[in-house]
Amino acid sequence: MEQYWIIARSVTYAQRMERVLTAAGIRTRIFRAPRELSDRGCAYAVELTGGVVRPALAILRGAGFYPTKLYLLQHGKYVEVPL
Amino acid sequence: MIYLDSAATSFQKPVAVGRAMETALREMSSPGRGGYPEAMRAAETLFSCRTELAELFHVSEPERVVFTMNATHGLNIAIKSLVPYGGKVVISGYEHNAVTRPLAALGADIRVASAPLFQPDMTVEAFEKEITPDIDAVICTHVSNVFGAVQPVEAIAAICRKNDVPFIIDASQSAGMLPLDMTALGAAFIAMPGHKGLYGPQGTGVLLCCEKTETSPLIEGGTGSVSLQQDMPEFLPDRLEAGTHNVPGIAGLLEGVRFVRRLGEDTICMHERQLALRASEGLRQIPGISVCARRDLFSQTGVLSFVPEGLDSELVGNALAEEGYAVRAGMHCAPLAHRTAGTLESGTVRLSFSVFNRVEEVSQLLTALPEILKRLSA
Repeated sequence: MEQYWIIARSVTYAQRMERVLTAAGIRTRIFRAPRELSDRGCAYAVELTGGVVRPALAILRGAGFYPTKLYLLQHGKYVEVPL
Repeated sequence: MIYLDSAATSFQKPVAVGRAMETALREMSSPGRGGYPEAMRAAETLFSCRTELAELFHVSEPERVVFTMNATHGLNIAIKSLVPYGGKVVISGYEHNAVTRPLAALGADIRVASAPLFQPDMTVEAFEKEITPDIDAVICTHVSNVFGAVQPVEAIAAICRKNDVPFIIDASQSAGMLPLDMTALGAAFIAMPGHKGLYGPQGTGVLLCCEKTETSPLIEGGTGSVSLQQDMPEFLPDRLEAGTHNVPGIAGLLEGVRFVRRLGEDTICMHERQLALRASEGLRQIPGISVCARRDLFSQTGVLSFVPEGLDSELVGNALAEEGYAVRAGMHCAPLAHRTAGTLESGTVRLSFSVFNRVEEVSQLLTALPEILKRLSA
């Protein structure tokens, strides 16, 4: 199963996104973002599995969240996915 | 000991508060600093507390709920975000030193909207007269910490909105007892302690921040976010929360807030007012005591002051302490309030109640007090 990571600027912002997605029945996890994904240093990531990425992004936008970066974990590397 | 000093700290807490603090010490580390379970449990606790507080006070987003050490800390952030050196402010005549000292440090031009106790209409008129569009901020306590007098913050907020002046509310004595709707009031900031009416532990406080108001950090440091940047993060709550949080304190506060929400602010307020009413009626029967309240406790909460005529209020407080009654006497860190009410020379003895007090405790105090006063007068 493909893993996608939405980058959040803070743990609180990641938690808000997680709550919105959980309420919509989408399972997520929060991780500390790898250094290479946090261009300003120190961030959190909300993990999604492949099949729910597009609906999840739509739900987040509907709730007023506008993620700026989305990454796909592919063969151990992070590939930025256009939003 | 009979504890009647909840306006300082609500000493008796719900059992869940202490338990949550112990659990936090055992199972939680630094929130926002790691992805391991102990750090994430701490982050989850903070987020749950922000969410509960945002719902209770109608704040648009949990991020706008900022944790502070106490109400004073929050008021300092609010004041220093809005008032420049030498800025112009309007305050009520019942402000605490937590407001007046930061303003003095800023050399602010302070205009006091002064009105007698328990006269909300006159208070509104006084604010109406003083608030002009060139004012940097209006600051008003929701409830006087000395007299329990409720200030008409809704009407003052409306005047501020009309003049486009930011409004800071000190909810130290009202949070958890009177309803406060941040969105409806349109306040720039609302500051409150965690350790009074929200039944959390000492060392906790909350600052509610409006979306439209820019904030200035009081301290800078690590936040676990945007670490390469040397300015503080531009987003809340990180912008105002440098350093590791008081996680056990916030875990306790979360349970305190849940307790308040379960009981309801109306129930809590009614209980405390009933106790204050019983105390007021009893005190009026004791010769040599002047009660600072209207007979029906109009526009008042469960905080009640009295003046022991001809006696030093601090000595009365000490004598009560020796007999097992915990009260607060003197200036209550609010000389402006005493000046406004005409009790600056004498100070007052203050009784303040919590949901855990019982009417029997008030009756015991009323029985003991005449003998204590007689002894001190001899």
